[in-house]
Amino acid sequence: MVSRTVRVGATLSTLALLATLAACGGETTPADPDGNVALTFVGYGGVGQQAMIDNYQKPYTAAHPNITFVNTSPPDVAQVKAQVESGSVVWDVVAVAPAAATQNCGTLFEPLDFSGVDPKDLVKGTIGKCYIGNFINASPFAYRTEAFPDPAKAPKTVADFFDVQKFPGQRGILTNLQNGILEYPLLADGVAPDALYPLDADRALKKLDTIRDVTTFAPNVGALQQAVGAKQVDMFFLADSRLVPLMNDGTAITVVWDTTVASINAFAVPKGSPKVKAAQQFMATVVAPQAVAGISEVLGTAPVNLAAKPNLSENATKVQVYGPANTGKTVLQDVDWYAANFNEVTTKLTNWLAG
Amino acid sequence: MNTPDPARWRGPSPRWLLLVPALALLAAILLLPLGQSLFRSVGQGDWTLDHYARLFTDGVTLRVLARTAVTAAVVTVIAFALGYPYAYVMTRVGPRMRGVLLVIVLIPFWTSVMARNFAWIVILQREGPVHSFFRLFGLDVVLYGSVAGVTVAMSQVLLPFMVLPLFSALSGIDRRLLLAARGLGSHPLVAFWKIYWPLSRGGVVAGLILVFTLSLGFYVTPALLGSPKESLVAQLLGQRTTQLLDFAGAGALGMLVLVVTLVLVAWANRFGGTISAIGVVAAAPVKDRT
Repeated sequence: MVSRTVRVGATLSTLALLATLAACGGETTPADPDGNVALTFVGYGGVGQQAMIDNYQKPYTAAHPNITFVNTSPPDVAQVKAQVESGSVVWDVVAVAPAAATQNCGTLFEPLDFSGVDPKDLVKGTIGKCYIGNFINASPFAYRTEAFPDPAKAPKTVADFFDVQKFPGQRGILTNLQNGILEYPLLADGVAPDALYPLDADRALKKLDTIRDVTTFAPNVGALQQAVGAKQVDMFFLADSRLVPLMNDGTAITVVWDTTVASINAFAVPKGSPKVKAAQQFMATVVAPQAVAGISEVLGTAPVNLAAKPNLSENATKVQVYGPANTGKTVLQDVDWYAANFNEVTTKLTNWLAG
Repeated sequence: MNTPDPARWRGPSPRWLLLVPALALLAAILLLPLGQSLFRSVGQGDWTLDHYARLFTDGVTLRVLARTAVTAAVVTVIAFALGYPYAYVMTRVGPRMRGVLLVIVLIPFWTSVMARNFAWIVILQREGPVHSFFRLFGLDVVLYGSVAGVTVAMSQVLLPFMVLPLFSALSGIDRRLLLAARGLGSHPLVAFWKIYWPLSRGGVVAGLILVFTLSLGFYVTPALLGSPKESLVAQLLGQRTTQLLDFAGAGALGMLVLVVTLVLVAWANRFGGTISAIGVVAAAPVKDRT
């Protein structure tokens, strides 16, 4: 009898534990933006996040002593979804692709009001209904200079990247949609830069078929950066912010300025964040010329504010997509098209890759 | 344990209380989320099997599952081929040598997963030692970024899971039985096959199941050493969760893998050993059971 009582007690205590766990996810009251607020800021970590701490957060806290920041990483939309669905949103400002913010606007991300921000000098698409951009990543066509030492015999156009006969060698492509895996094959196939959207994903994949056997598909920028540094690939479409550290570390890289695909990086607020007001006020300041210039100087990315005058290092100047080095065209990814078609193209691409 | 202890019939003894913390933890961090995944995968109350049907019709999941199963099987065979003789030798050497052999097999356990996988990248990549070795024979083999490379690395990483249960099973075998067989005129190979091998089967099954099931769910090694071109099921799961936010579809895929694994475990269970054989402690029981 004693043991039965014990068992019941144990079951009850288990239930109580579970209930407590569940209760941790309760609703919180909205925070007053004029009171003391600690915003949880989720970036990609590393040098980039440190640059954001130095250029966004510290000046903001200096001007608004009641707002402080808690930094964490990495951002992950799946994590945002889990937080929103469980009703326990602990992230306030999250780095996110604008297409993902737009696709999930109102469901996973808070609609935001940036009417107070003057869009005059901002790159088109910097402000969306649920996000604000902060820098632009370009993933230009580049090659290891060592692989093509004679400039006369080096690739000159995006089409050359897909010409296996004329330019043998290992290719490196990122499987992230933000780095142009669908745009570049279409450009090589003869689609005009201003006629890319709506993207013909099937045609792009068909073109990718032609280089599949000589291409390393990297699941993230770090992997491709590593592959370039270790001479695993000869030519590649790699983010500018990763080309700069490679060059700084002594890998000679030539950028081929034909047509370059670029995409905006943004911040958004998870739906249900109690600190949305304070977050929005802070986010309105991240496009200020001085702030974005500071980020560009550290990362070698392009600012979303064209009035920004970053003081770039020599290597960063070589990859500056909106600078004098770029003698070709630039295509900025169409956020709305990606927002509407993200799931479909992601599935198509994954199926193609896995096939 | 065959004589029923009368005290047992009055209900569980207080020693079961010792299980409560572990069970509570399991319920909170395993069963609850697992139930949630299952619930999502069947439509969150709308009761549909669409997410499961899609696994079989999307043209990719099955292919990736098959590739994963083949990879896991190859890894298991390699680990067994390396592990069985290794474990055998461990039972035949002195205590000091056994210690050394144990340390060698445990080193992968003590090394960070990332360090191990990055070491494999260096070894397998273009112009790395393996590539250079094959080039001596005029072959251009780059294992980095291929299922073959993933298989090699996984075999190394999972070897301890084969060796440890095998070692405990083999060290529990009474070698006098072999002597007796020899004394009765048996050829050593026959003695091995008729006596040693059946006695080691519990450890073999435990090792095979452990390595195979762990291989099925391996994520880091395929993600780092493999290629999205040849993804395994864990990569597909990751992509479905983090990019498509398709928690229901990912849940269905996860459940499918779980069911396949459980079926395999149940099936393998019939070939010797019991469920308790699964686990690194497995084999002391082999001795107890005889």
